[in-house]
Order: sequence, then C-alpha cells, then structure tokens
Amino acid sequence: MQRPATRNLGPLRGIALAIVLAAMGMSAARAQGGTDLQDIEKQLNGLGDRIQRLQDLTDVEIVQDAYGYYVDKAQWRNLSELFAEDATLEIGGKGVFLGRARVFEYMHVGLGKLGPHDGSLIDHQQFQCLPTINADGVTAQIRCIAFVMSSGGWGHNYYENKFVKVNGVWQFQKLHGPFNMYSGYKVGWLDNTILNTYPEKWPPWPDLPPTVMYLTFPNYYVEPFHYLNPVTGKPMPPPSPRAGGEAFGR
Amino acid sequence: MVCSSKAVPLALCLLLGLSLGSGAFAKDDAARLAALKSRLKAIAEETTYVEAITRIQRLGRSFGYYTDKGYFGEAADLFTDDGTFQWGVDGLYQGKAHIRELLTRHGGGSLQDGPGLPFGRLNLRMQLQPLVTVAADGTTAHARWREWGLLGEYKKSATWGDAIIEDDYVKDHEVWKIKARRYFLNFEAPYQGGWAALKPVSGNWQSAIARDFPADAPAAAQYPPFPAVFVPPYDYADGTLRAIQSRAPFDPPRRPDDELGRLEKLADAKELQLARAHSVRAIENLQAMYGYYIDKGQWKKAAALFSHDASYEFGQSGVYIGSAHVERALSLMGPEGLEAGQLNNYVMVQPIINIADDNRTAKARWRSDVQLARGGKGRWGGGVYENEYVNDKGTWKFSKLHYYVTFWGDYDQGWAAKPYPMDPPSTAIAPDRPPTVVYQSFPKLQIVPFHYNNPVSGKPDPGEQE
Repeated sequence: MQRPATRNLGPLRGIALAIVLAAMGMSAARAQGGTDLQDIEKQLNGLGDRIQRLQDLTDVEIVQDAYGYYVDKAQWRNLSELFAEDATLEIGGKGVFLGRARVFEYMHVGLGKLGPHDGSLIDHQQFQCLPTINADGVTAQIRCIAFVMSSGGWGHNYYENKFVKVNGVWQFQKLHGPFNMYSGYKVGWLDNTILNTYPEKWPPWPDLPPTVMYLTFPNYYVEPFHYLNPVTGKPMPPPSPRAGGEAFGR
Repeated sequence: MVCSSKAVPLALCLLLGLSLGSGAFAKDDAARLAALKSRLKAIAEETTYVEAITRIQRLGRSFGYYTDKGYFGEAADLFTDDGTFQWGVDGLYQGKAHIRELLTRHGGGSLQDGPGLPFGRLNLRMQLQPLVTVAADGTTAHARWREWGLLGEYKKSATWGDAIIEDDYVKDHEVWKIKARRYFLNFEAPYQGGWAALKPVSGNWQSAIARDFPADAPAAAQYPPFPAVFVPPYDYADGTLRAIQSRAPFDPPRRPDDELGRLEKLADAKELQLARAHSVRAIENLQAMYGYYIDKGQWKKAAALFSHDASYEFGQSGVYIGSAHVERALSLMGPEGLEAGQLNNYVMVQPIINIADDNRTAKARWRSDVQLARGGKGRWGGGVYENEYVNDKGTWKFSKLHYYVTFWGDYDQGWAAKPYPMDPPSTAIAPDRPPTVVYQSFPKLQIVPFHYNNPVSGKPDPGEQE
C-alpha cells in the first residue's frame, strides 16, 4: 500500500518528504525543549533543597540563640514555648523532664521567678554553635557552648540538642546540657569549682533519672559528638581512660 | 499509513500546528531558555558559595570542640597533609604529626594515650566571630577567627588566652580543609591581675614549648604581644568586599503565563530564598569585621561599614547620625589605632539575624562581651546589640547600631562586687540626639526589646515579671 501511494505522489513526492522531515525536525526540537524544561525544573528543585538546608541551619541556630537570651532574663514562658509539646530536657545532673510543661517547671521552680531581678545577673551566652540538618530535612542537631557570666562567677557548659520541624517551624525536641566547669569569680577556676547537680538537690524532681553520670572540672566528661569529623568523616572515639581525667561516663 | 495520500496535509498540519503553538519559540523562547539556563548555573554557583561558608564555619568550630577535650589528633586531621600552623612568634609547624604534637604540648594530654586530658587540665579555646571569604573560583577560602581561652591546671594555674587566627583553606576532593593557620597570640594572662597587669615584653618572647619542640621554619614575621597594640594583617582572600556582599535587591519582571514563565517564577523564588540565606552570612561577616576593627581602634574602617545616614547609639551616650558622626563617636573609645596598654576587645557572638522578605533590609540581635584595659586597669563588659542593616546595591551596611549595656565591672573585683555605671553623653563630642531609651546597667536589669517574636510560638514577648 505505502509504496504505490508514495509513488503516485509524483512530483509532490520531494516536497512532501521535505515537509515531513521538517515537521519531524520541529517535533524533535520541541521534544528537546520539553526535556530541557523538565531538566531545568528538576535542577531548580534540587538546588531548592540545598537552599532550604542553608535556611534551616540559620533557623535552628536562631532557636538555640533565642533560648540563651530568654535564660538571661528568666523569661521561662518564652523559653518553654521553644520546645515541642513532647520535648525533653536534661541539664547537669538533675535528671530528665518530660514535656513542655515540665520544662517550664524546671526553670520556674528550680531557677527562679519570672523576669529579670536587679542584682541577679545570669547571662547564658551561646558560643561556637555547630548545627547539622539531617538528611530527612525535618530533624536537626546542634552542639553549642553555654558560657555563663553570672553574679556568682563563671560557667562553661555544653549543649547537644535535637530539633524537630513541625508545620515548618523548628523547635527543641530534646535539650541536653552537660555541665563542664563552674567557678566563682575571685580566683576563677584555679581551685574553686562547683560540683554537678543531682536529682534531689532542689525541687522540682525529675520524671526520669539522669541518662549519664559524670563529674565536672577538675574532672571532665566528653558528651558524644552528633557529627562526624568534617574532614576524615570518622566518628569521634570516646576519650582514652589512660588520659586520666575521666571519672565516670557513658 | 503515514505516507499515504494524507501525508501532505498531515505534514502541513503538523507544521502549521507547530508554527501557531510556539511561533515565538524559535526566537524569544530560545533566548528565554538560554537566560533561564544561565540563571540556573548562577544559582548553583551561589549555593555552593554559601555552603562553603557554612562548611568553613563548621571546620573552625570543630577545631574548638576537639582541642578543648584533648582530641588533638582529630584537630590536626582538619588540616591538609602538608598543612601549617604558625604559633605566635614560635614558628611554623608543618604536617599533621607536628601540628598534633604542637596542640598536645600547649593543651596537655598525651601523644601515646589517645584522646583526652589529664585530671585538672583546662584547655577551653573557644573559636568565635568567624569572618569567612571564599575566593571567586570556589576552591580556596580565608577566615579570621577570635580565640578566647580559659586555660590552666587545677590548683596550679588559671589563665586567660586571647588570639586572632588567620586561616587559609583549600577544597580538596569536595572537602574543605585548613591549609595554613596563623595563630597570632595576643596574650596569655594569669587570672590574678588579668591582662591589665601584663608588662611589655622585650626581646624574644617565644614560649618554652618552642625551645623543647622547635618549629619547622621561623614565623613569617615577629610582632609584640599585648600591652603593645599589634594588628594582625587582614588577609581577606583577595582584597574584595565579597565577605559582606550578597545579591543586590531585585524585582523580577512579570513572567509570561506559559510553561517557561512558570519555571522563571520558580527560579525567581529560589533566587530570593538563596539571596536571603547568603545575606545572613554577609551580615555575620559584617558584624565580625566591625568587631575586629573596634578591637584595634580602627575607627575609620569601622565607620566605613555604615550607610551615610546610619545611626549609632551606645549605652546612655546618645545617638550619632551619619557615618562621619559615627566615626567621631567611636573615637570616644580612644585614639585611632589605640595606645599601648589599651585593650578594646568586643566579642561578637550569638546572632539572631532576620532578613526582610525582599532582601533589602535586615535586623539582628547580637551579644558582645567586652574586655578592656585603660591606664593599667582591667574591665569587663557585657551587652546586647539590636542592629539594623541595609542592602546597598549588594553590599550590606549598618543602618542602625544600638548597643544596650548589661553591665560594666572592675576586673580585679568582678562585676558583681564592683559594677560601674554607663557613661553619660559626651560634652566634648556631643551626640546628635539624646538616648532613645533611658535605663541603668547592672545591678539594674531589664529586657532589651526583641526585634523578633518568639521564633517558635510566633507570639510577641509577654514580658511577664514576678
């Protein structure tokens, strides 16, 4: 059927072929354009994911830094609202507090009345924060130093915290603040150190016992690092017992 | 069947259909597609650039966390194989093994016994205030850091450390590493007496460690530590202001209502989100740069970071308007370049940076700790900035700086035993306006107003007080 039909076109044959070929060419160009557009959209969305991670790094650090400013002035209501409803808090050796309401109680009952009080400086500075956004894009971690300048003197502690993104908003899922060193002002950390807290030291009482037992300076404790060494990609080993400074730990 | 007698009309139809459906494609659409592809490439490059800044910040902060717990091998692993560490005037140590030994000797711990510190050793070397510049080709970078050290041994010594770090980085197989670190030790001061009691050094002030463990090469330059005023060279990667720049404000044109237009709009959205993420890092760098200039009494350079109509307000000293008046206000802290014995450290930490939706302006809260020395007396300070910034054709500048003093305190007795009040407005260099907020510093305390609502609940500060 085809051959005779084509042959019957006679002089039109060449023109027809040219038109068909041209049409095919245009179709290919259009298909090429479509592929380009799909590819561009895919690449834009891929970059969008990376850009979102950059924004997440800032947003997570903002929650951590906002926490520090709220501690400064005993703004416990504001502070507890940085926590997810089912978040947990463990600071020093006081044990674990479950849920946002208990976070408020830990601060309000344990640390003092709402608002700044003349003569009582409790600057809770956030230093050297290192946030990590996990691959799922909705959980994150941070390691920070809390460097304390208070009416009583100095404090140097760590945070290893977890965050969760709920309805597009980053918030604390788990706050863990192991103590490192507290000292008075007069001689600093020379020989004046303050021992870790413990569950019954002052009310309120925790919901769960401490997850880890350790001593503060002049001993030390290494809170495990949530991130791998950024160059070698290796996890951080626990400290060597032979180094001599560790008393207790996980 | 395609080449039946219907072949010609079919081909014509196809041709016509194409011509009618996307007649512009051959010309305008091709140009739009090329423009979109070029924007895509630029977005990819800028994303990699901002990621590089965050990775370099991560390297520096990791160094702090490793050295403060005696993980000196892990800290040395952050360097390239042939990396160098120039320690003060002690000299240049090269290679991971020598860097590890250098850090171990300075920090305590043992090369044999693995990570950790001996009982009673304190080696807190906090890595703060990064100012990161990535080179145009994206393969090298530079940063300035401040190290604030709390050092010592239980019942033997307690020491403050102060140093400026100038780092070169290289991207090696997609991994950023430290290539060369120049550690400009400013002082190691005994806690008793502090930095203000330090005497000028004369002659060689190399450490005892350098004598026991000699460097591989001498230091590039000798310099005197505090109480001399030494300004470590600002090795911003290539002398540009890229560190404080991001995308200039941009209003995208109305995009056509077609498939290409949909992607153009998507690119507009991604570009804006990226520009705002980039601006966060530019403002971190700007605030850090300002702090490093203030440290050394470089008032002219600091004032140049303000927009021409910017305002400057410090404590209860009143408001100065315009960059020329800002410079005069800064000079209230001392002569340009300071004098020997003057310490003027303003540590910039704890940023909460919010970029406006259109990337034209920004606001940020920062904390500053202050270490001062004047006339042989040391002083502590602490306070909070609530600043505003403007994107001036792609370069970020201060439009408003407002430092709220929390406390001033005597070094020897501490801020609790001997707080100082804020200075009143100067009569020699009078401000343009009185203070916008009247308050007293410690022992009085008040909440510095927040430019932001609670970042999680979205509620304004309830200001509860019991």
